[in-house]
Amino acid sequence: MSEDFEPRITAFVCNWCTYTGADLAGTSRLHMASNVRIIRLPCTGRIDPLFIIKAFERGADGVIVSGCHPADCHYTSGNYHARRRFAVFHDLMEFVGVDPGRITFSWVSASEGAKWRDVVDEAVSKVRELGPFTAYRGLIDHNVSADHFEGLLTAVRADPAGSEAGQTEAAQVGAAVVTDDGDPS
Amino acid sequence: MKELRDLARQLLTDGTVDVVVGWEDSPRGARPIFAATPDDADKLIFDTRCLHNLATYLNPRRKQVTDLGKLALVVKGCDAKAVAGLLREAQLDRDRVVFIGVRCGGVCEDSMAPEPVELTPETIAPRCFGCDNREPHLVDHLVGDPLPEPPAPLLTLDERVAALDALTPEERWEYWTAQFDKCVRCYACRQVCPMCVCERCVADKSRPQWIETASHPRGNFSWNVTRALHLTGRCVGCGECERFCPAGIPLATLNRKLQLVVEERYLYRVADDPEVPAPIGDFRLDDQQEFIK
Amino acid sequence: MSRIGVFVCHCGENIARTVDCETVTATLRDHPGVVHSEDYKYMCSDPGQALVKKAIEEHDLTGVVVAACSPHMHEKTFRRACAQAGLNPFLCEMANIREHCSWIHDDRAEATLKAIDIARTIVEKVKHNRPLESIRIPVTKRALVIGGGIAGIQAALDIADGGHEVVLVEKEASIGGHMSQLSETFPTLDCSQCILTPRMVEAYQHPNITLHTWSEVESVDGYIGNFTVKVRKKARSVDETLCNGCGDCQAACPSKKIPSEFEAGLGKRTAIYVPFPQAVPNIPVLDRENCTLFKGRRKGLAKDACGKCKEACLKGAIDYDAEDAFVEEQVGAIVVATGYDLYSIGREQPEGLKGYGEYGYGEVPDVIDGLQFERLASASGPTGGAILRPSDGKEPKTVVFVHCVGSRDPDKGMSYCSKICCMYNAKHAMLYKHKVHDGRAIAFYMDIRAAGKGYDEFSRRAIEEDEAEYVRGRVSRIFRDGDVVRVWGFDTLSGEQVVIDADMVVLATAIRPQAGAKELAQKLNVSYDEHGFINEAHPKLRPVETNTAGVFVAGACQAPRDIPDSVAMASATAAKVLSLFSADELEREPAVAVVNETTCIGCLSCQRVCPYGAVEVKEILRRDGSVERTVASINPGVCQGCGTCQAVCLSKSIELETFTDEQVYAEINALALWE
Repeated sequence: MSEDFEPRITAFVCNWCTYTGADLAGTSRLHMASNVRIIRLPCTGRIDPLFIIKAFERGADGVIVSGCHPADCHYTSGNYHARRRFAVFHDLMEFVGVDPGRITFSWVSASEGAKWRDVVDEAVSKVRELGPFTAYRGLIDHNVSADHFEGLLTAVRADPAGSEAGQTEAAQVGAAVVTDDGDPS
Repeated sequence: MKELRDLARQLLTDGTVDVVVGWEDSPRGARPIFAATPDDADKLIFDTRCLHNLATYLNPRRKQVTDLGKLALVVKGCDAKAVAGLLREAQLDRDRVVFIGVRCGGVCEDSMAPEPVELTPETIAPRCFGCDNREPHLVDHLVGDPLPEPPAPLLTLDERVAALDALTPEERWEYWTAQFDKCVRCYACRQVCPMCVCERCVADKSRPQWIETASHPRGNFSWNVTRALHLTGRCVGCGECERFCPAGIPLATLNRKLQLVVEERYLYRVADDPEVPAPIGDFRLDDQQEFIK
Repeated sequence: MSRIGVFVCHCGENIARTVDCETVTATLRDHPGVVHSEDYKYMCSDPGQALVKKAIEEHDLTGVVVAACSPHMHEKTFRRACAQAGLNPFLCEMANIREHCSWIHDDRAEATLKAIDIARTIVEKVKHNRPLESIRIPVTKRALVIGGGIAGIQAALDIADGGHEVVLVEKEASIGGHMSQLSETFPTLDCSQCILTPRMVEAYQHPNITLHTWSEVESVDGYIGNFTVKVRKKARSVDETLCNGCGDCQAACPSKKIPSEFEAGLGKRTAIYVPFPQAVPNIPVLDRENCTLFKGRRKGLAKDACGKCKEACLKGAIDYDAEDAFVEEQVGAIVVATGYDLYSIGREQPEGLKGYGEYGYGEVPDVIDGLQFERLASASGPTGGAILRPSDGKEPKTVVFVHCVGSRDPDKGMSYCSKICCMYNAKHAMLYKHKVHDGRAIAFYMDIRAAGKGYDEFSRRAIEEDEAEYVRGRVSRIFRDGDVVRVWGFDTLSGEQVVIDADMVVLATAIRPQAGAKELAQKLNVSYDEHGFINEAHPKLRPVETNTAGVFVAGACQAPRDIPDSVAMASATAAKVLSLFSADELEREPAVAVVNETTCIGCLSCQRVCPYGAVEVKEILRRDGSVERTVASINPGVCQGCGTCQAVCLSKSIELETFTDEQVYAEINALALWE
C-alpha cells in the first residue's frame, strides 16, 4: 500500500460512555489520529451489524464499535445484548474472510479519555497496516459483464454446487468442500 | 407407515383435524401432501426421501394454509425444532396444530429418487450426522419403528466448517465472495426456511434500504451475511435453504458455522423445547468478550 | 425540501485556532439542502443565539445544525433558542467540532476536513429529524436518601422541610455515620456529637421522614419521577414498635467482649447492642454472628444456649425468629449519600492494592488510624477521653502523626489527595497536646492543604500555639522495638534522616468509598470511577447530579470531603430534588421507540430485551372484533430510549425517535467515499 494511504474509519459509539469519554479526551487535549468519524447512538444496544456492513459499503476501511463497560450501561443491559450480537458478528466476519483488525470493539467509559485516544490510535495504525479495504471495494466496483453472467448460468445449470470455470483456486477448494469430492485440504 | 396412515385417517374421520400435512410418493419422488380425506391419508409415506421441512407451512403468513383450518403436521426431529422455534417466537397457536412425530434414521439428499434411497456415506445428507432429536419430543403422537443411527457422511457439516476455518482469511474471502457472487436474489432460501417468518423482511425494507436488492456482489454479501446473522440461534439445521438454492451456495455450511459459534460461546444447542430461551436476546454477566478492548 | 441552516462557532480560539471556520462555513453553504451558512465567534452567547433565531425566520429553516462544542454542552441551549424562534427544538442538532476535532488535532488542514465531514454528517442526519413533542410523565413527590450520615441527614431534613416525604435508609443500626465517631471537628473544635445529635433526633422525629435503619437498598426499578425501591430491613431481632430503649437487654447480655465497630476496634460491646449511647433510633440490634444463642442454633443444639436478653426485656420485644423483611417504596428522586471508609493499610489488602505493611498497622497495636484516635480523644470513648495507648494503657509522651498514608500514591495506594487529613492531623496534634501538656506531637507531612475558611489559621495554631512539630518528609518504616514504636523518616528541609522513638503513631489513611458502593451504584445504574467514587454528571456545572436522571449524589461517596462541604452538597441535592418536585409532571425528551404495527409479527423479542418493561402486547382486531394478530406496543412513558429493541427486531419494525434508521443511514452515507 502507498505511503499516502490514510484509513477512513467510522465509529459507532454510545452517547453516555464512549461519546462522553471522547469529549473528555477533547477537554483533556489528548491528541490522536484524525481518521475517525464518530456516529452517536444512545447505546451499543442500538447498534445493528447492518450499520457496519453499510459503512464498509460506503468506503470505510475500518470500523470502531464502542460503549459502556459491562454492568455500567446507562440503560442497564443494552451493552450485554450488544456483546452477544457482536461476538457472533465478529466470528462471522472472520469466517467470511474479513480481517478482524478492521473492526475494533471496545468498552470506553465516560472517564476514560486516554483509553479512547488509545483505541483510536491503535485502530488507525492497525488499519493503515492492513491497507485500504480493496477487497470490499472490489465488491463495490465489481462490474459483472454479460459474458461472465452467461458463464455463471452455464456453470450453475451444469453443476449446482459450482463449477470450476471462472472461479479462483480458493473457491475451487471450497467447492470441493461443498460437493463431498473427497478430502478437503 | 401403516401406523402413520391409521393415525392420520383417525384424526380426519373423527374431525380432530381438517387436513394432515405429510409426504406422499409420486412420479417425482417424495413430495408434500395435504391429505384432507381418508383416501388421501392412505398415501402418506415416510422414508429416506422425506427431506422436506414441513414446518415451513406453519408460517402464519401462509394464508392458504391457515385458511384450511386445524392441521396435523408430520415432523422429523429437525422439523420439530423449527416448530419449537415458532412457538418460542409466538408465531404459532399451539391449539391449531396436532404434531405427529416420526422416528427418523436420517434422510438422503435426493427427494426425487424413484425409490427410497439406501443410506450410505455417499447418500446420507451431511446434516443428519450427530442428530440429537431422532425421536422428536414436542409432538402429540410418535409413530414409526426406531431406526438405526445414520451412517457418517463422507464429509460432515462440521468438517466443512473446519476446512474453511483452516484456510487463510484471504482464501476464505475469495471463497465466500465467489459463492455470494452466484446469488440471484431469488429468496428461495427465505421462502423455504421455516424460521423466516417476517411479514416484511429486512431485505425488502426500502426506507432506508440497508440491503441493496440488485443481484450484485455488494448487496449479495450483505443479504447472505444478514440472513445468517438473523438465523443465529434460530436455525435448526434442516438444510432446506441449501437444497433449494438454485445457485448452489453452501448456505447450510454458513448457518452451521453460527450454530457452532453459539454452542461454543453460550453453550446453546437448538432443541425442540420452546421453553429454552434463544441465545440472542439473552445474556449472562460473564459472557465471553475476548474480542473487546 | 430541506432548508437547513448551518452555524459554525469559533468558540473564541478554541475551534478557530485549529479549524478554518470560514472554509467550513463556505463548504457547507454549497451542501445540498443547506440554504444558510454562517460563522460567529461565540454561538452560545446571546448575540450568537440571536443569529440562529434570525436565520430561522428569514430563511424559513426546516432544520438547524450548530457546528461547535459537544451536544452535551449546549444542545439544550440551542434547542431552546430554536423553540423560541418557532422551530421545533428536535429539528436542531449539534456537530461536535471542538471536543472531537479542534481540541484533539493540530494539523489545520486535517482538522478542517474532519470538521467539514462532521458537519455534513449532522446536516444529513437533521434532514431526517422529525418535529417531536416532549412526553409528560407524572412525578411521585417522595424522595429516597441512601445513607444516614451527616450528608444524608442534611438532605433528608432539607427535603422534608420543603414539604415532601423522605425515606431515609441506613445500613447501620443508628444514623450518624462517621461524624458520630469524631471527638471534635475542625476548624472550631466543637464537639461533633453535640452538633450532630440534635440533627439526628430531628430527622427521627420529623413527620415527613420515614427512617429505615439496619436496612439496605435491595433493588431499584423505574426511572426519574417513578422509581420503585425495594428495601431490605435486616432482622434486628428486636421489635421496633415494642422496644423503649431501656437498655436492660444489653446489661443482661453475657457476651461483653465483642470488638466494637463504633469504637474502631479499640473498645468492646455486647452481642445485643446499641452502637453508641446517643444512637438514633435508640433500639438495639442483635449481632447474630457473635450471639451465643445463635452460635448454638447454627451448631444444631436442641435447646437454645442463652436467652438472657429476652428474659430481661420487660416489653417482650426480643424476637429470635425475626427474619429480614422487605418494604417497597415508591419515590420520584434518589439521593446517594453513602459516605466513606478509611483505607485499611495493613498487610491484608483488597483487590490487588499493595498496602503499607512497612508501617506495622495491624501488627503493632500502638499504630492506629485517624478514626481510632478520634475514639481515644472522645469523652465517651473506650478511654473516657484520655489519650492512652492501646498496648498497655500508658499515656504516650511522644506521638507521631503520619500524613498521606495511601493517598497521593499512584503506585501503592490511591492517586488522589484525601483532602481532610491535613486538617484532622492538625486537630489531632492539638487535641493530644491539650490533654498531654508535656507530650511531643510530631507530624510527617508532604504539603499542608488547609484551604477552607479558617483552615490555614487553624493549622498554624497547632504549630504556633500547641507546639506541634512538623517535619516535611515521608516515613519509610514503623516497627516495635521493646517498649517504643520506632519511626524512620526523612526531613527534606534539613536533608537529614530522622529516627523517632514514639509511644504511639497515628496514620492518616486514605479516604475510600464504602464497601458495597460499586454494587449499589450498579443497582441504581449510576456510573462510578476507577476508585468506586460516584461520578457526577459534570465536574463543574452539575456536581450533585449523576448521569442517571433522578439520582443525585452528596458527600464523601462522590469524593473525599469534609463536613461543611458535605452539608453544602447535601443541601444542593435537596434543592435539585425540590425543583424536580415543584411540578406535577416532568417533561421528558421524546426519545422513545415506536412499533410499526403493520410489519410487526409479534415475536416479542423486543419485550425480552427491554430493560424497563416498556413493551406490552397489543391485539389488532378485525372489523368484526375478532383478533387478527398480536403485535408489540411500547409505552412511551416507560421507554427510556436505548434502542436495544430496534436492534433485535429482525424485521426492523421498531424505530427509535431521535436515532431512527433513516437518521443513522444518512450519517453513514454522508461519510461515503463517493457519491
